[in-house]
Amino acid sequence: MRIAPDYSKEFEKLAEAYEKSGGDTSNLLDKRVASIIISGDKVIGLNNVDGVEIEAGKQELGVWAKIRISKGKKIPMPIHLCTGFLGKEGEQRVNFEFIVEDGATVNFISHCSFPWSTKLTHKMTAIVRIGKNATMTYADAHFHSEEGGVTVISDTHAIVEENGKYKNSFELTRTRVGKLVVKMDVDLKDGAIADLESKVRGRADDDISIKESLGLNGKEAHGIAKSTIVATEKTHARIVNEAFGNAPYSKGHIECTEITKGADVDVATLPVLKVTNDLSELTHEASIGRINSKQLDTMMAKSMTEEEATEFIIKGMLS
Amino acid sequence: MLELRNISLELGGKPILKKLNMKFEVGKRYTILGNNGTGKSTVANVIMGVEGYKPQSGKIYLDGQDITNLSISQRAQLGITIAFQENVRFEGIKIYDYLTLGGKIKKSLDDVKKALKIVGLGEDYVKRHVDSSLSGGERKRVELASVYMIDPKYVILDEPDSGIDMMSIDTINMFINQLREKNTTVITITHREEIALDCDYSYLICSGIVLKAGKPAEISEYYKSMCDACEHPNEIQLIRDEVI
Repeated sequence: MRIAPDYSKEFEKLAEAYEKSGGDTSNLLDKRVASIIISGDKVIGLNNVDGVEIEAGKQELGVWAKIRISKGKKIPMPIHLCTGFLGKEGEQRVNFEFIVEDGATVNFISHCSFPWSTKLTHKMTAIVRIGKNATMTYADAHFHSEEGGVTVISDTHAIVEENGKYKNSFELTRTRVGKLVVKMDVDLKDGAIADLESKVRGRADDDISIKESLGLNGKEAHGIAKSTIVATEKTHARIVNEAFGNAPYSKGHIECTEITKGADVDVATLPVLKVTNDLSELTHEASIGRINSKQLDTMMAKSMTEEEATEFIIKGMLS
Repeated sequence: MLELRNISLELGGKPILKKLNMKFEVGKRYTILGNNGTGKSTVANVIMGVEGYKPQSGKIYLDGQDITNLSISQRAQLGITIAFQENVRFEGIKIYDYLTLGGKIKKSLDDVKKALKIVGLGEDYVKRHVDSSLSGGERKRVELASVYMIDPKYVILDEPDSGIDMMSIDTINMFINQLREKNTTVITITHREEIALDCDYSYLICSGIVLKAGKPAEISEYYKSMCDACEHPNEIQLIRDEVI
């Protein structure tokens, strides 16, 4: 990928943020890797490879991008999406459309970095269309500023056609969250599979709201939605996991684990299961509470302090 | 030396340990034998300082230092550790990280592999996780490997033979012998007399008191002949009558 000279300094800054969020800048510059780099309301880099077609442009306060994977293509290297905002204050709107055509296979690695923003609202909407027998994985890691002034509002709607597979993971564990609103719903057709996972760690007065919904609308559709939240200090968290069994032999499982640490946390989880077809099976697990005392005792008996043991266990849960 | 002096403990208003006395010398191997429900694991928790198991009376000494009021971590830092009977799982933690305490103890990959080998696990386990993908027996072995890695002075093995796929007595004995090579004092808690045979000294407890203590063969024989048939392991008065 070539970065336009006008944007080379901006890229350097963004690359710094990208590396902070765990990304590897060399992937963004590798010609063999399809990628898009978004800074504020500009596309400062874009690279297509065989089987991947990325179109993108400017829109009010942000960027739109349409990413299409050609029928039957198996993309050997993950597509990298780098979204950043370098200013201290503002709003960024990003609209993605992902189309994975029948029989295609693709992996995405997305990093959203807002390390210097003190008052930013980042709004992302995504439409995901996964064709018959196609597979898409999407790993999304966020890196926000430590001031807690970032608001992220993310809304994804995915449709997975017959025997398609969709795996989505969202991670915001290394920095302050600020305010997070994640909404994701998946419409699963016959034999389709979805695996949704969110891991978030709240600190100070972070505010976390996640709603994941599995629509098991096709025969033998399978889905899992799993959320792991670590809420410390004054974190406020509301997690809703839903599964709707609307088709025969469909199976869904939803799971929410919320670890609390601090007298002022305010957390809740609400599992919702609804069946409209008596051959569908849905299950759920939910727990809220401090770290298991037996886990703590086990690690403390190996000479870790309570703080060290807590951190060790939490890191594992969020890894 | 690790010493329990006149330890009494009530849990939920019920007396569990009654003026219990035990001594454990450096580098020796001990067993605490007894039926289920007699207080064996309670003794382990009291020695380790698990929350809720602080004795109402009595003292615990380590090399003359009173450690009764120390936390689990503080006792562990002095060289006492335990492999609990029930081994919990840890989501997302690799066995390598578990055995090196996330880098807290400075050991090489070869050290980790050696510890795994001692408990009968292959090198491939290094990258596996300490989660529900392990069977009960595998998890138990990982716990023992973890104990080996931290080079304790005193280790309590609470029912090391229990588990979904039981570890063989040979494996346990091999593991204990490896610990003894490090001059570690091993305190094995068990209700199987065959495990109690291979040690230096045995305690037989019943209803929270030391019923008998001494040579392993004698204690095991007594346990086999008396305790197996005993239908009242938790009724303190019956035992007291016999002892007195």
